[in-house]
Amino acid sequence: MSHLLDRLNFFQSKELEQFSNGWGQTTRENRDWEDTYRNRWRHDKIVRSTHGVNCTGSCSWKIYVKSGIVTWETQQTDYPRTRAGLPNHEPRGCARGASYSWYLYSANRVKNPLIRGNLMRAWRRMRATMTPVAAWAAIQNDPALRASYTGTRGKGGFVRATWDEATEIVAAANAHTARVWGPDRVFGFSPIPAMSMVSYAAGSRYLSLLGGTCMSFYDWYCDLPPASPQTWGEQTDVPESADWYNAGFIMLWGSNVPQTRTPDAHFYTEVRYRGTKSAVVSPDYSEAAKFGDIWLNPQAGTDAALAMAMGHVILREYHLDRQAEYFEDYARKYTDMPMLVQLDEVDGRLVPGRMLRADDLDGKLGETNNPDWKTVAFEESSGRIVAPNGSIGFRWGEEGKWNLEEKAADTDTRLRLSLILDSDHDEVVAVDFPYFGGAATGDFVKCAAPEVLTRNIPARRVTLAGGREVMVATVFDLFCANYSLDRGLGGDWVSKNFNDDIPYTPAWAERITGVSREKIIAVAREFAGNAEKTRGKSMVILGAGLNHWYHMDMNYRGIINMLVMCGCIGQEGGGWSHYVGQEKLRPQTGWQPLAFALDWNRPPRHMNSTSAWYAHTDQWRYETLRAGEILSPTAPAGDWNVSLIDYNIRAERMGWLPSAPQLKTNPLDVSRAARTAGKAIPAYVAEQLKSGDLEMSCQDPDAPENWPRNLFVWRSNLLGSSGKGHEYFLKHLLGTDHGVMGKDLGEEGHAKPVEAAWHDAAPKGKLDLLVCIDFRMSTTAVYSDIVLPTASWYEKDDLNTSDMHPFIHPLQAAVDPAYESRSDWEIFKAIAKKFSEVAPEVLGVETDIVQLPLLHDTAAELAQAHVKDWKKGECDLIPGKTAPNYIAVERDYPNLYEKFTSVGPLLEKLGNGGKGITWDTRVEVGHLGDLNGRVEDGVAKGQPRLDTAIHAAEMILMLAPETNGEVAVKAWEELEKPTGRHHAHLAEGAHHTKIRFRDIAAQPRKIISSPTWSGIESEEVCYNAGYTNVHELIPWRTLTGRQQLYQDHLWMRAFGEGFVSYRPPVDLKTITKAVNNDAAEGNPHVVLNFITPHQKWGIHSTYTDNLLMLTLNRGGPVVWMSEVDAAKAGLVDNDWVEAYNINGALTARVVVSQRIKQGTLFMYHAQEKIVNTPGSEKTGNRGGIHNSVTRATLKPTHMIGGYAQLSYGFNYYGTVGSNRDEFVIVRKMKKVDWLDQPATGKVEAAE
Amino acid sequence: MNDRTLKALSLTLSYPSAELQQAMPAIAAVFRADLRIAAPIRAALQALADDLAQADLYDLQERYVMLFDRSRSLSLNLFEHVHGESRDRGGAMVSLIETYRAAGFEPMTTELPDHLPVLLEFLSSRPTGEARETLADAAHILDALAARLTRRGSGYAAAFAALSGLAAAEVDAEALAALLAQPEDDPADLAALDAIWQETEVTFGPDPNAGCPQMRDILASMDSPTRPAAPARPSNL
Repeated sequence: MSHLLDRLNFFQSKELEQFSNGWGQTTRENRDWEDTYRNRWRHDKIVRSTHGVNCTGSCSWKIYVKSGIVTWETQQTDYPRTRAGLPNHEPRGCARGASYSWYLYSANRVKNPLIRGNLMRAWRRMRATMTPVAAWAAIQNDPALRASYTGTRGKGGFVRATWDEATEIVAAANAHTARVWGPDRVFGFSPIPAMSMVSYAAGSRYLSLLGGTCMSFYDWYCDLPPASPQTWGEQTDVPESADWYNAGFIMLWGSNVPQTRTPDAHFYTEVRYRGTKSAVVSPDYSEAAKFGDIWLNPQAGTDAALAMAMGHVILREYHLDRQAEYFEDYARKYTDMPMLVQLDEVDGRLVPGRMLRADDLDGKLGETNNPDWKTVAFEESSGRIVAPNGSIGFRWGEEGKWNLEEKAADTDTRLRLSLILDSDHDEVVAVDFPYFGGAATGDFVKCAAPEVLTRNIPARRVTLAGGREVMVATVFDLFCANYSLDRGLGGDWVSKNFNDDIPYTPAWAERITGVSREKIIAVAREFAGNAEKTRGKSMVILGAGLNHWYHMDMNYRGIINMLVMCGCIGQEGGGWSHYVGQEKLRPQTGWQPLAFALDWNRPPRHMNSTSAWYAHTDQWRYETLRAGEILSPTAPAGDWNVSLIDYNIRAERMGWLPSAPQLKTNPLDVSRAARTAGKAIPAYVAEQLKSGDLEMSCQDPDAPENWPRNLFVWRSNLLGSSGKGHEYFLKHLLGTDHGVMGKDLGEEGHAKPVEAAWHDAAPKGKLDLLVCIDFRMSTTAVYSDIVLPTASWYEKDDLNTSDMHPFIHPLQAAVDPAYESRSDWEIFKAIAKKFSEVAPEVLGVETDIVQLPLLHDTAAELAQAHVKDWKKGECDLIPGKTAPNYIAVERDYPNLYEKFTSVGPLLEKLGNGGKGITWDTRVEVGHLGDLNGRVEDGVAKGQPRLDTAIHAAEMILMLAPETNGEVAVKAWEELEKPTGRHHAHLAEGAHHTKIRFRDIAAQPRKIISSPTWSGIESEEVCYNAGYTNVHELIPWRTLTGRQQLYQDHLWMRAFGEGFVSYRPPVDLKTITKAVNNDAAEGNPHVVLNFITPHQKWGIHSTYTDNLLMLTLNRGGPVVWMSEVDAAKAGLVDNDWVEAYNINGALTARVVVSQRIKQGTLFMYHAQEKIVNTPGSEKTGNRGGIHNSVTRATLKPTHMIGGYAQLSYGFNYYGTVGSNRDEFVIVRKMKKVDWLDQPATGKVEAAE
Repeated sequence: MNDRTLKALSLTLSYPSAELQQAMPAIAAVFRADLRIAAPIRAALQALADDLAQADLYDLQERYVMLFDRSRSLSLNLFEHVHGESRDRGGAMVSLIETYRAAGFEPMTTELPDHLPVLLEFLSSRPTGEARETLADAAHILDALAARLTRRGSGYAAAFAALSGLAAAEVDAEALAALLAQPEDDPADLAALDAIWQETEVTFGPDPNAGCPQMRDILASMDSPTRPAAPARPSNL
């Protein structure tokens, strides 16, 4: 039979074969179309990286790369597991991070080095005939030429430059500045190194080798809570977020976890499923408010009143009417409550004075070492006065007794908390306490009571050495009286009844805060009740909402007191969880030598930014707050009512705070003069300062010799985000168009400072050169003279750690830097190289003189037991004791590049360390040489190489105890010397753990327990701050060695902050009749308190120019207000409004929401003025940013130094830039002007 | 080089330099000689070339940075206008690089592959048909950029007008209108501004109330009873 009929001639069946009983078939159809889908998700590699912005996340991300292009990112899910019973960390990340990769190729990316056109023109003209430094000098010496570019800052006009040319200009400017004015006139600002520590270190290493000034950030951002160093001698140490899961009761206080701690928020959600209760304190109905079992909405700025009322309840019910055993025991061992305070007699009345010291007593209690720094208490059984172990006097100059064992003079000792029993006190005396609640201004409730409240205190009579008799009381008894608790001793201003309207009762707080007394009492009881049952597992998560007020210390100390009363500090699941801006740099002691070039010379130049910007942006010239307004009615006699900058100047000359610049004369010239005079440098400087021939720069911030001349801003948006007093920056530091509407003290005819020199004409444009290093055209970049394009976070190798989890994480170069950009490490390396080439024109090997304040965690913290000012003749000027120290540092300018790229010999010679301990680290430097290779020639011959960012990362990892177990063991052993206790067991198991860069590239690694931190890494407990203080009996680094609830420094007492109190927001007087033309003209408007919380659509200003994030909000700057206030001002949702006061003006859309409490205007920071911001009708300039209406105001108590925990440390203690006491006028805009016409006759970018 | 005009346009749209200024007369000659370009556009190109040759170099550079480096709406990265910040942008750039490589070219620049001068240089070496087709794909962007530059009174508009002519494409009028609509803010017209800001209601799918057809059918079949319901009993209550 023919097959012809059965065979297909023209077709072939699609179906070739059947299988699985006909359920499957093989076909031969074309499937090329599937490749489209396969390729859509194809990638060449996945690289682990994270986001190096100022964000606590440190989230692990997978970066997908295809043909050398980053295509997208997804969350990693491979964190090391947690222990059983504890939820895991991942997935971490948020919408902001997930949108990052599009920044790489965004139109807002800086693609080439950019230079202001007028500067380039001048430079090339000069450079055609001159050497680099001479060319820069020629431009600076021609005022018209200099003004041609400084006056156009912020107005466009950039041209591209090559790297070679851009770095040459920068290097020449730096060399010229060092030669003419002094190297300390070169400033550098970069925040939060933890997020990309090598990038930070690149700039700070360059500056430190140059002798430039590294500026602080944590205090400037006002994220530093000064209450932490005051209480614990610790900058900030907090529980990791996983520890929330161990809490039994959580208070969220002015913190918005789901919005601003997005990757961690799951622990908060999870612990609620475990049954933990939560109280949320937030004036607005925030995202966090709905997590609360109870929501307390106090009037913003009155948190201290709320906390004190809760403290009142806790003390009454858990310490007085009934003594909870755990609380009492904790108070005795871990707080200063048993310590004795002298009661000073002033005009026949008693006020709490200094803490009594061994030195005050006959025979000094047998203490020969630092008796003036050993606080004393009554021994319970014998009633004798003893100097218990652990106070700061034991820390320096002796070994073995700096611990919290219950011992004094080698004998077991139980301290007496209270003298309340009749047999324990000699007398009941009346003691005065200041009360500030009646001084409230504006809309804040005044609760009238006298400004001095007198309470009865049980006291003992003590005879001092020399025979004088004084009354003493325990901190505990004074503390209870301060909270107005009636102890049955009679007298006024104390209460047994929560319903009495007496300061600090719940009834009183109800009036001030608006929160009902029932809620206050209920939350206080639950908080303390849980802590008693769980031995301290009550936690408070708090943040910027409280800390950005002028009197943030009161808010914080009110809360800290609650935690300490209930024994929550140092206990897992309990404690103080301040999560703002600190972003713990875990391998800190490994990083410091790299970052501040401690391997080549010590000390570096550090500066507290708040004081520096206050002086150099001339905000002090407009100060409206006199010290007299915040002084305590109980202050001792003195010339207290001066200007705030006067306090800062006094603090600088007494060695309390650093200075920048330091001396009016170039330090390179001062050292030369000293050599000519044949004198040692400290002695020479002291002599010249006393004679007045040498002057500290701080006395005259406006003299041209004292201006900062060059400023580097990298990893930061100083002008667009964190610049409090933005318009003052523009006016005085930059010298360009600004929106300042107020007049200075001279123009107003107000009292001028007494210490600071006054010039009637304020300088405009102090900076010769502003260099911004960024990957995007931020507000700061727009105002800069030179913009250098940097690598994004997927284009560089770096390290990243957070306080929210215990892992160390890499940033990695998934792709090469796009366009012309380079990593920060390579940029500063290039500048260093160029500097070494051009510097020999004017600089050789020079001797610099570094002015060093009295530092915390060094023996200098015992420098000044009493306040004495050498300038007033109260003492001699002794460098390092009554004044800053002056230290000679050799600068080898021609070899700066070689030093930058190698690990110097000082680590081997002097060792490494931190927080008061030092260990030998020769082994690690040797290992680093083996790993990185060694330099073959030159000044660094034989030293480890430091060429690449990975070399730098390895240096950090090798030297730090947190990432090198061998170092951790050494470090703990060092700490054993002062404490006399065994600690090395905390790291012994990790002896051979050494984490390398490639290890963390494979997986984030948990760090090793180290004495740098007060918590431990273990499989039994989560990281919790204060853990080693409580469980290892390592003292807190305070005067008493215990949690310091009483601050006895003279300035603390003068300003009424010996004990906590409620202090209403200060009146900054920024709504003047002159500025408020709307009131004059009868236009509808409303005056509101201006609050700047953290936002949901960006991390500070990052992502606020990202279209994806803008799309999720309203696409430009917005402010939020209540319906009531909107109605008053005749506003409806989405109206364009202008908010202004004498500091400046900003423009935004208004969001009208029931969520917002009446009286408040929210503006989430930091929305850039480069996106959809129209011109201001008031100033005629582009709308401004949130900081256009703010101005920094300093607080004298933050300037204290040379006094135990109140001593300076970089980002540790110092003035802070508060900004929440500000008020603004808000009204609808009449005309929205986009200012899209050319400003100077040239083409303007449409942003 | 297959098409010297495209190469000349690539140069014209590059960052002004002293070298470029010197070459401008030669570049202008290429434009003059290319009769594919309409006469008025050729005249405008001549003016642009003269300006680029003669004006102060720093002014030219400042202008270039302001226009093309700093203004998102004038970006020379074509995908900025197509994909913006979208996820697709990375993929699109990858395809473009692969196109270059397939043609035997390795990009040797720090510019991204979608940078217009890069693309034009590539196209100048390709067969005319392919070049025209590629340009035609981007015609609506070229037209939009030409219009925006004209609005600003910038001479660079001529270069885009020329490119648009070389593409000789039917411009997708809708896409062009969409692009051109974007930056038209009249600061004086508050109502119009509001309209730009107004959020439109989000609807998922063609008609959220209609539902998915299959599901509708299933629901319909469930609605029709397979057996008649039992007759209601009279209540005893």
